[in-house]
Amino acid sequence: MTTGVEFLPCIVAFCCVHSAYQAADAAGRMRIPYPENIIMVHIPCAGRVDTLHILRAFENGADGVVILACHEGACHHILGNIRAKERVERANALLREIGVDGRRVEMRTCAPNDGSRFARVCHELEEKIKELGPSPLRKHA
Amino acid sequence: MDEVKIGVFICNCGDTISKSVDLLDIRARLEKLADVALVSIGHDLCSPQAQQAIRKDIIDNGINRVVIAACSPQLYGDALANLVEKAGLNRHLLSVANIREQCSWVHPDKDKATKKAMVQIRMAVDKVRLQDVVEQAEVEVYKDVLVIGGGIVGMEVAIELSNLNLRTTLIEKEANLGGRLKQFAALYPLQVTPEEMLTSRLKQVTGSENIDALTSAGLKDLSGEVGNFTAKIRKGNEEISRNFGAIILATGYETLFLDKVYGFELGDNIITQSQLEGMLKSPGEIKKIPQSVGFVFDICDEHSRISTPSTLRNALVIKERFGSEVYVLCRNLQVDGAGLEKLYQDVRNKGVIFFKFERFPKVLRENGKINIQVEDLSMAREQVMLSCDLLVVEEKVVPHQDFATLESMLNIGLGPRDFYQEDNVHLYPTSSTKSGIFFAGNCHQDLDLGRALTDASNAASEAYQLISSGKMRVEVERVVVDPDKCALCLTCLRFCPHDAIRIDYEKKTAHILDLACQGCGICAAVCPAKAIKFKDWSDDQILAELEVV
Repeated sequence: MTTGVEFLPCIVAFCCVHSAYQAADAAGRMRIPYPENIIMVHIPCAGRVDTLHILRAFENGADGVVILACHEGACHHILGNIRAKERVERANALLREIGVDGRRVEMRTCAPNDGSRFARVCHELEEKIKELGPSPLRKHA
Repeated sequence: MDEVKIGVFICNCGDTISKSVDLLDIRARLEKLADVALVSIGHDLCSPQAQQAIRKDIIDNGINRVVIAACSPQLYGDALANLVEKAGLNRHLLSVANIREQCSWVHPDKDKATKKAMVQIRMAVDKVRLQDVVEQAEVEVYKDVLVIGGGIVGMEVAIELSNLNLRTTLIEKEANLGGRLKQFAALYPLQVTPEEMLTSRLKQVTGSENIDALTSAGLKDLSGEVGNFTAKIRKGNEEISRNFGAIILATGYETLFLDKVYGFELGDNIITQSQLEGMLKSPGEIKKIPQSVGFVFDICDEHSRISTPSTLRNALVIKERFGSEVYVLCRNLQVDGAGLEKLYQDVRNKGVIFFKFERFPKVLRENGKINIQVEDLSMAREQVMLSCDLLVVEEKVVPHQDFATLESMLNIGLGPRDFYQEDNVHLYPTSSTKSGIFFAGNCHQDLDLGRALTDASNAASEAYQLISSGKMRVEVERVVVDPDKCALCLTCLRFCPHDAIRIDYEKKTAHILDLACQGCGICAAVCPAKAIKFKDWSDDQILAELEVV
């Protein structure tokens, strides 16, 4: 951590179009800044995210992955967020198996109008990944 | 397939984007990307002039994939897709990079914002490169609506629809229309009596050519999907088969007395709200006018929109009709409907006494009287002893027992309290999880009468929007199954939240109903054989986007 160059974590956020994507827009309208090193992948529902996508993000060098979905019980596709949670758990188990800290992948929820929560979640994620340090799977680590 | 030529159009949005993003730098970097044939920076791409210029650019340069880097697609996504369509391309061959809301507005640092905008646009380019064409088609749909439940809400829905010139079949399992409204003694805060309301609605229902009201009838079977449902309706020994474009459920609720919660049983002088309503409705049943009446509520449900107004209403009726002493005992009185605050004031002004308690009062039966011991919070926690001739208790509002049958027949979901589950409580409050089926009234939410009637109009207008033109635009084969890979494991069928997947046993493959599919992509994610391709968000596209990491 103290190598002189500040560690800038690369985080992939899968953002459901019914919640987090709109929450990010809301954050934009309210001009609430959040870390710019979060790569937002626009998806139609958290349930679209496959374990494969999560693992590929790590393979490509992401330090952390988060699925930002609707609150439980508010999914437009009923159980999309629950499905996503199952996949996060699966990815988590697989990562642990190969010796990567499972905390690097996470599932968070937010409401479509809650821009401030979106920004707060982004800050929290950045903090967390900074603590964990660069991913051991980083190509140029 | 032809050579891919991607055109990237960047908007400076009246300088709000260019202020924090170095667009010239981005243009220089984008031009080096593979398949990018044109990068243009424009002023306010939402303006008609700019759109015309884009159209010209697309046509002149033979662009066959478009990326627009501007504001959120939530704002102009549809308009931009129309623009692409007008330029002769398929509307799906467009990807929007949101560099305003999600970049320039939140990242004031120019270097960082430019870096992020570049990432966003690159993702859009990578995505659109692999985008497949999805055609749209128009499908004929039936302009008929089936309304299940002939209570006041069901009747209201049918009347609204008939006024909008849609044919409606209204089915009611009882012999008469009217449902619960028939039992109500008064409708405060509304200024009509239940009889007046019922007669006027019945007149409209029977007088309308568009409404076919079937009483003593029930739904026996349902097949098909939105726009083309086939319902088998049983009426007596007859069975009627009809086609409908949409279905609206207005099946209401039931009430249940919970003796376990109260710790005592009902009797001659302890009755439920519905029993009281029955008594008030037929005065012959009242043997002796009660001198004092107690009401207890707020026990089964915290703040129910059904029991709170009905308690206030009946307290007022008793006070006005018999002049009895009336006590209302509740944990915390909350009213949130139109006119209810005034109703509460009126009830108090008439002399009804309210007690708020923390601990449930002791109820003792003594010589035909009910003694209630309650700790009064407003009087220094003194124990107050009330003596009543009649105690009226609240019932729990529970889902109708038919819900479970209808749920499996219609293939829709029940929520945590076993009422019907809306698609999304905030965004689509009257839509079910299945396209073409809507809810109205208390079958899906706890609503007072005024709100239930508004809900009925909402459901009616949703159904109208969907089928009134007799045609529906539908994305054809937006999600496709590869029959060679499909192993008929039925995983997608079980996971689809909208009941949009069918199995074709002859071709030995699952297939997706274009009309019913709402594009969540859950099937594509769960398919173990990766046989399902969601053309707007295919695995290849998502993985290509992830290459920017």
